[in-house]
Amino acid sequence: MSSQDPVQIAPQSLRFFHQGLLKTLIYFFLLILILAGAYKALPLVMDAVFLLVIATILTAVLNPFVDRMESSGIRRIYGALIVFGGIFSVVGTGIVKGIPTLLSEIGRIKNMIQQQSSADSLDTMISDINTKIAQYIPNFEINTDTISNLTSQFFGQLGSILASALDTLATIVFILIITMFFLVDGSRMMKSLIGMVPNRYFEMSLNISYKTKKQLTNFLKGQLLAALGVAIQSIIGLTLLNVVFDANISGVFLIGSIAGMANMIPFVGPFMGMAPAIVVSLFNNLGDPVAAASYYYIGHIILMFLVVQMIDNNVISPIVVSGSMEMHPLTVILLILIGSQMGILGMFLAVPAWGISKVIVQEVYHGLKGHHLI
Amino acid sequence: MKEKSNISYPLFDSFKDKLRPKHSQTQMALSQVNVFSRLSWQEIKIVESAVHIRTYTPNEPIFQQGDPGSGMYIIIEGRVGIYLDIPNHEPKLLSELGEGDFFGEIALLDASPRTAAATAMENCTIIGFYRPDLMDILKVKPIVGGKILLSLSEVLATRLRSTNSELVKVSRLLEETTETQTNE
Repeated sequence: MSSQDPVQIAPQSLRFFHQGLLKTLIYFFLLILILAGAYKALPLVMDAVFLLVIATILTAVLNPFVDRMESSGIRRIYGALIVFGGIFSVVGTGIVKGIPTLLSEIGRIKNMIQQQSSADSLDTMISDINTKIAQYIPNFEINTDTISNLTSQFFGQLGSILASALDTLATIVFILIITMFFLVDGSRMMKSLIGMVPNRYFEMSLNISYKTKKQLTNFLKGQLLAALGVAIQSIIGLTLLNVVFDANISGVFLIGSIAGMANMIPFVGPFMGMAPAIVVSLFNNLGDPVAAASYYYIGHIILMFLVVQMIDNNVISPIVVSGSMEMHPLTVILLILIGSQMGILGMFLAVPAWGISKVIVQEVYHGLKGHHLI
Repeated sequence: MKEKSNISYPLFDSFKDKLRPKHSQTQMALSQVNVFSRLSWQEIKIVESAVHIRTYTPNEPIFQQGDPGSGMYIIIEGRVGIYLDIPNHEPKLLSELGEGDFFGEIALLDASPRTAAATAMENCTIIGFYRPDLMDILKVKPIVGGKILLSLSEVLATRLRSTNSELVKVSRLLEETTETQTNE
C-alpha cells in the first residue's frame, strides 16, 4: 500500500492528533503544577528574591563604573573594591556627620513640643493656620490633639525603628555581598545561565538578556542623574529661601537629598520631597510672628519645589532620561498604586519593573516572530 | 665538525615544557578565524571568555534562512551544511563546512535576515560569537573590540572588492553581448 493511500492517512493523522492532545494536556498539567508550586513557595523565597532584586539594581547602577575601570586596565575585582570603597567612604562620612545632627534635631523638636511655651506656640500656630485656611475652606480645622498624638506616636516608635535598623543592617550586608559577586562574576553567571537555553531559543535569549540589561542600566542612570539634579536644585532653592526670606530652614542638604531620592517615585515623589521642608520650616519658626505672617513660608516652599519640578520635567529629565520607558500617566498611577502595596520600595520599583517586563515581552514576541517560532 | 650532543636534561625539559604556552581547542579555533587574526593570545583569551560553546545533533538547524542574524559561528568539530531555501523545492546545498570553518560573521554588524540556512550534518561542536558579546568586549576591552572591528571591516572590504570585480566582468559581458546582437 502506498504512503499516499487515503485509508493510511486518516489513522496516522488521528494518531498525531492524539499525540498532540496528550502533549498539550501534559504541558498544561505541568504548567498548573509549576504555578501551584510557585504560589506555595513564593512566601518562602520572597526574602531571597527581594535581596536578589535589590542587588541586581545596585549592580546595574555600579557596573558602568567597574566596566570603565576594567577598560582602563584595572582588574575587575579591584575595580569593584575601589567602587565599594568609594561608596563606604561617602556613606560613612554621611552617617558620622549626619546622624548626630539628625538626632540632635529630633531631640530639639521633641523638647520644643514638650515645653509649655512651645505648646502655646504650637496652639497659636495651629489656630493661625486654621483661621487662614477657614478663609478658603470653611469648616476645616486642624486639631492640636491629633498632632500631639501623631508626634508622640512617632517618637514612641523611634526605639523600635532603631532596633529594626540592626536587622536592616544585616540585610544591607547581604545585599552588598551579593552585589560584589554580581559585579565581579555577573557576566560569567549570566553566560552559564543562558548556556542552559536550548539551541533553538539561544540567540533570542541572549538578545533579550542584553537589551534588558541595557534598558535597566539606562533607566537607572537617567533616574539617578535626574535625582541628583533635583537634589542640587532643591538645596540651592532652600538656601535662597533662607538667604532672601530668612526662612530658617535647617538641614538643607538632608532635605535636598530626600527630595532628590523621593523624585524617583513619579507623581508622589515631589510631594514626599516637599513635606520635610514644610515640617522643618513649621517647627523652626514656632512663635515667630514674621514667619506666621508669611504662612510659615509654606507657600514659598511649595512654589520653590514647583519651579524645581518644572525645570526637572522640562529640561533635565528629557535630556538625561532619554530612552526611558514611555508610559501613559494613567498606567504610571495604576502601577504606583499596585506598588504601594509593597511600601515605598514597591512604589519605586513598580515603574521600572513594568518597563523591563514590557521590553522582555516585546523582545520575546519579536524574537519568536523573527525566528519563525510563532 | 662538532656534533650536537643528544643529552637530555629532564628537569630543564619539564621546565621548558611548562613555559611553552598551552592553548585550548577554543583558542586555537579562534586564532584561525580572520576576524580574530590581529589579536594576541592574551586577547584571544578575552574573546574565549566571551564566546559560547554549543553542541548540535545531526540535522539540527543552527539558524534558518530569514532569521534575524545576531552572530558568527566557528566549527570546532563536525560538519555543517549551508542551504538555500527555494520555494516549492528541496533546499539546495550551497556548501559543506568542516572543522575550523566559520560563517555568519557579517551578522556581527547588523541584524539583517540570514540569506541561507545552516544545519548540522553530524554531531557538531560550534563556537558562537554574537553581537552582544562583541558589544561587551567593546565596552570593557575597547582595544580588543577595535581590532575585531578592523578585521571585520577588512573582510567587508575584500568582499566589496570581489563583488565590484564580478560586477565589472558581468557588465563587460553584457556590453559584449549587446554589441554582438547589434552587429548581427
